[in-house]
Amino acid sequence: MSPRPSVGPRLQRVLALVPYIAAHPGATIEELATRFQVPEGELERDLELLPFCGLPPYTPDRLIDVEIYDGQVWIRFAEYFDRPLRLTAHEGLGLLAAGRALLAVPGSEVDGPLASAVAKLESVVGARGGLAVDVSAGEYLEPLRTASHDHERIEIEYYSFGRDALTTRTIDPWSVFHAFGQWYVAAFCQLADDERLFRVDRVRGVRGTGEHFVPPPPSEVVERRDVYHPRPDDPRVTLRLGPEASWVVDAYPTELAEEHPDGGWTVVLAVSEEPWFDRLLLRLGPDVTVLGPPERRNAGNIAARRLLGRYEGAPNSDA
Amino acid sequence: MAIDRLERLTNLVANLLATRRPLTLEEIVELVPGYPADKVAHRRQFERDKDTLRGIGIPLSIESADAFSPEYAYRIRPEDYYLPTLDLTPEERAALHVAVTAVRLGSDSGEEATEALWKLGGVEGDAAPALASLPTVPSLAPLFDAYRRRATVSFSHRDEPRTVDPWGILFRRGHWYVVGHDHDRGEPRSFRADRITEVTFGEPGAFEPPADIDPGSLLRDDPWSFGAEASIDARLLVDAAAAASVIAELGEDALAERRPDGSVVVRLEVTHRGAFRSFVLGFLDHAEVLGPDELRTDMVHWLRAIAERPVTAGLMSGDAP
Repeated sequence: MSPRPSVGPRLQRVLALVPYIAAHPGATIEELATRFQVPEGELERDLELLPFCGLPPYTPDRLIDVEIYDGQVWIRFAEYFDRPLRLTAHEGLGLLAAGRALLAVPGSEVDGPLASAVAKLESVVGARGGLAVDVSAGEYLEPLRTASHDHERIEIEYYSFGRDALTTRTIDPWSVFHAFGQWYVAAFCQLADDERLFRVDRVRGVRGTGEHFVPPPPSEVVERRDVYHPRPDDPRVTLRLGPEASWVVDAYPTELAEEHPDGGWTVVLAVSEEPWFDRLLLRLGPDVTVLGPPERRNAGNIAARRLLGRYEGAPNSDA
Repeated sequence: MAIDRLERLTNLVANLLATRRPLTLEEIVELVPGYPADKVAHRRQFERDKDTLRGIGIPLSIESADAFSPEYAYRIRPEDYYLPTLDLTPEERAALHVAVTAVRLGSDSGEEATEALWKLGGVEGDAAPALASLPTVPSLAPLFDAYRRRATVSFSHRDEPRTVDPWGILFRRGHWYVVGHDHDRGEPRSFRADRITEVTFGEPGAFEPPADIDPGSLLRDDPWSFGAEASIDARLLVDAAAAASVIAELGEDALAERRPDGSVVVRLEVTHRGAFRSFVLGFLDHAEVLGPDELRTDMVHWLRAIAERPVTAGLMSGDAP
């Protein structure tokens, strides 16, 4: 016997197929196969089982009547299957979260068919207005998506958080997507002469160049979702973390981590950008000591002194 | 010839749906062809079938056979089984197909979501390229289920037991939250779903959320407003370089003043001073706490302590990697 797909999805499909065919007499095998995502042969095999199903005493008037003729299907005597099965919580959540998320993307048609479908689902599922998905992204998401869609090369003003610097870059926006609660542009960046991932909320301006680019195959773009991978030549620092700072071990890709009896850690961390490291030291304060390399042992002291410069004298003309 | 499992399961569902009273296992075996004659074997087979039905979300109700018998009896209550009429148009079905393929929930490849579309009349139109992926956590589906049933939930939040009337479920900045009335605190609260375990819920229809509830307005997800300290109104000056990002993060409501040089003054309600300090330090020297004095002094003391810390001369003993 040829291996059959597991019975759960088959049953699920049959319980959805029967009410559909009952409501659409004469539906074609071809249409049903597309609509219910199944090869035609498999669909026919499952339909051929149905005439053996029904209620006791399983006489012809109690069995499901299936007629397949010239590629069309009719079903009668299945009134207990005249409506499909309810959505599970998981299914309802999945459909509504997807619908709500897409409606929240700037540029979506807010009173189109998706909005009316979501409203109907919400009332059936019992979720009137109480499921919300916030995927807001600031003002540049739309122009970036348009440029990506049109394969247009653009110039962006970009605030690099790690380096705390504003740069102008010419990029080929390959794709724009939302992941980890943020919108990103995967692009080829001329300044870096390499692929880069930009956060949309750090884009400060978008200008068209009138030039176009040839996009790489989509499969290659979707996979590049990791924001920071330490590079072999990024400088390394050794830190002694107090117990209060132990979250650092989980939050960043540490390369060596050794726990101490007090709950603290010694870790080796790759540092790609100085401002990023300054932030870490300033936030951790007394809970971190830089052990090495020697030239970085006073990095926190220097950063703190620089910030203190802002606090000399009266507050900056506080109104 | 052995009866196909799909055939037995289809008959089982039909019989459990059509019956007027719950059926015992012996009755089921009698009515539905395809169970082995042996008692142990048919019990085992039925347990497997029950798991399959549950696995695809068929609500099996288990009752006692009668008042005097400890034996279980089974049925599917029509009111639990049938999907209420939705009347989706072909355009609406196509729009949902686009939505579930563009937005992925968790690691779902989209297969599970399109299977849900079968129940709505099948898949129409074209799939969309992936646009967004939302994470999922184990507590999410049960919390959503409790919300839609208006059932009071009990759960463990960071190892603390909580009882909440869930008014809504919200995704923001990478996390799912449940918002609702916290029985223990006697006020609305929000909880991050990934910090919630052991969700159980009671009878449906236990409460009614306030009319026109906007879950987003109840969410306090800014860490500096998540504390238990006395609330204090902070004024923060942010340079032009970071002005856009601070407004993007806090919203226009927080904007108190725009200065000619492009810098902005924002107001924040702070109940957690440590979290506020971390937020401000994220701007490095592009931000300055203007006031009140208490918070400004707090920042100065923090920075001075770091500036004046002795620098280690070498590796401390016991700390060598």
